Amino acid sequence: MPDPRKKIQLLISSLEELRLHVGRKDLAIGKEKVNAMLFFSLANACLRGRCVLLYGGIGANKTTLVNLLGSSFLSRTLDEMEDLMVTGHPEQTEEKIVGFLDPRQWTAAADAAGSTQVLWTDWAKSNWKLINEINRFPSGKQNLFLEILQKRKISYAGQVCRPGDTCYFATMNPELSATYPLDEALLDRISACVPAAQPDFLAGLLLSEREREVRDLAGMLPRLTPQEFACLPEKVAKRTLTSQVELAILCLIRDFTICERAPAYDKTQLSGSKPSLGLCSGCHYHNNPEAICWQIDEGLSDRVRQDLRAFCRAFAYLLDRDADLPVLKAIAAYVIWHRTTSLRSVLERPPYYGVGKLAHVAMLVEKSINRTMNERAEMNLIFSRAVDGELAGAQAIEILSTFDDPIARLDYIPALEQM
Amino acid sequence: MKLVRFMDAAYQGKASGRRLKTRQGDMIFSLEDLADQVGEKPTRAEVEQFVPQDKNQLDLLISAHPGKKYALLWGYLTSLAAECCTAPLLLPCRDYAGLELTQGAIILQEAGAHIGERMKGGRIMVQGKAGDYLGQEMEGGGIIAAGCRDYAFRNMRGGYGVMRGDAGKFTGLGNCGGRIAVLGSCGERAGWLMRAGSLYVRGDCGDYLGLLMSGGKIIVKGKAAKRAGWRKKGGSIRAESYGPEAADDLLGLD
Repeated sequence: MPDPRKKIQLLISSLEELRLHVGRKDLAIGKEKVNAMLFFSLANACLRGRCVLLYGGIGANKTTLVNLLGSSFLSRTLDEMEDLMVTGHPEQTEEKIVGFLDPRQWTAAADAAGSTQVLWTDWAKSNWKLINEINRFPSGKQNLFLEILQKRKISYAGQVCRPGDTCYFATMNPELSATYPLDEALLDRISACVPAAQPDFLAGLLLSEREREVRDLAGMLPRLTPQEFACLPEKVAKRTLTSQVELAILCLIRDFTICERAPAYDKTQLSGSKPSLGLCSGCHYHNNPEAICWQIDEGLSDRVRQDLRAFCRAFAYLLDRDADLPVLKAIAAYVIWHRTTSLRSVLERPPYYGVGKLAHVAMLVEKSINRTMNERAEMNLIFSRAVDGELAGAQAIEILSTFDDPIARLDYIPALEQM
Repeated sequence: MKLVRFMDAAYQGKASGRRLKTRQGDMIFSLEDLADQVGEKPTRAEVEQFVPQDKNQLDLLISAHPGKKYALLWGYLTSLAAECCTAPLLLPCRDYAGLELTQGAIILQEAGAHIGERMKGGRIMVQGKAGDYLGQEMEGGGIIAAGCRDYAFRNMRGGYGVMRGDAGKFTGLGNCGGRIAVLGSCGERAGWLMRAGSLYVRGDCGDYLGLLMSGGKIIVKGKAAKRAGWRKKGGSIRAESYGPEAADDLLGLD
């Protein structure tokens, strides 16, 4: 079987040529520039059990793009994909989304049947799940997705539906009059959040050349066979991450999570008090632009580590390159920014002006990775030598105590003290 | 896998010995940010280390109202801005303008207290009246003002100060250098504890002119009030006339 990447590349060029998606190339990976919305969606289609959220104003081609990709990857029509998705509104219920008890099982003809029968919806049975306008679900109903996202099965009324490994997509608009805020736990289950911008001038010009209906053009897109679609996760998994990327991911997550004043130095343990509410006032690291801890309210969960590794591999596969630091630098902010809250006093200053949260997180990511690969080299080597027994623990602790770095002070030294 | 091997693979033998850079001032957008880096009472060297290189950013900081809390910081920033300006720097009426100024020129329409404090060079022109402690501890440069309140040029070591109008009390207190010219009148205790330098007053002087002075030169074109040269140990005082209980060794203008 030929590598499906060639078909995916053909799909990318077809989307552009047919004027079905002509977004700006806003994501630079090394010297290559790609459209973030398209490539994150493609990367998610190559993975399983991850969820990509496309976030943007109305009419920014979010839902259509996911459905077009779905029709291509699942080899189905656009109409079928549109019928498959669920759309958020206050009257949506678990019964409409997942499935409902088959009323026929209580009729005389079927009363001999044993277990409860559930009629699963097509959405529940599908392994391509699009949750359209997720923030139009009221807060309580959003909890339904906590159980569904990233899972291989869905349970209802004691019965289990096993659609297998699934690609999850969601779309949402910015806060409008009929939207609800997304819960932090739900956001944490979303692997990456990608802004969907309106077409720029040139893109608008290209779109005006499209004279046929989208559903007609969708039929002209290349189709993957079920075997090709199924083998994608395996192809992605074959891409190995470099040691630099592994180390940078570990340090990146610790940079965001570590807090001298939090229980167990873990910001995810905080409730009530947080950096934006004055937790860091007087702290040694407060206002030090080299430190990240005080600039972000929340810590990062281990899901972030998994998502960063998965998307690095997927991008490396799509672009046929190594899963190296430029890939991590390009994608990490998209994996992190929706899970965090930047300190308002920092975010409101230029060049962010209160709205550049993604840019702020990207700056922090860049800073963390650069520090790990440069200034942290010495302390990391000392720590590794101490862990491997090549250096006495007491001596390593003494040397590490001279490093003014949260990871050295709050991670490495306590770890060596316990050894 | 050994952790050392993992780290070696990550750094590929390029591990440098550089330590973490901390306190790198690349996020200074307000006086509050600067104070976070250097504290509220820093030295000039500390401020210089963190001051933004971008002139627009420096202008932004100077345009902010410092209040009492960040007055010293604002003062240092005005000096740093004036020093890198080719034209005179126009400033609003606030305290500590031109603090430790070394070169350049500052123009103020009105002035608060502590203007030109510890200045070593440059010029400050106050078009209106200045507040207290004008040119305190100055070592060089010059200040010209329409007038000033108390303690002007206290502990002055060098440079010059010109008052085109009246000066308040205690002008030139503890001076050990520099030249002061008051074209109007002086309040009481001008030249108190003066050790060197000169004080010229075109108008009259208040009580206790040159009180406990041990050096320097005072010339008053008008009248000195009572007890001029009281317990004077050195230096010279010359005035048109003296009030009662003046010291014995005082001279007239002839």
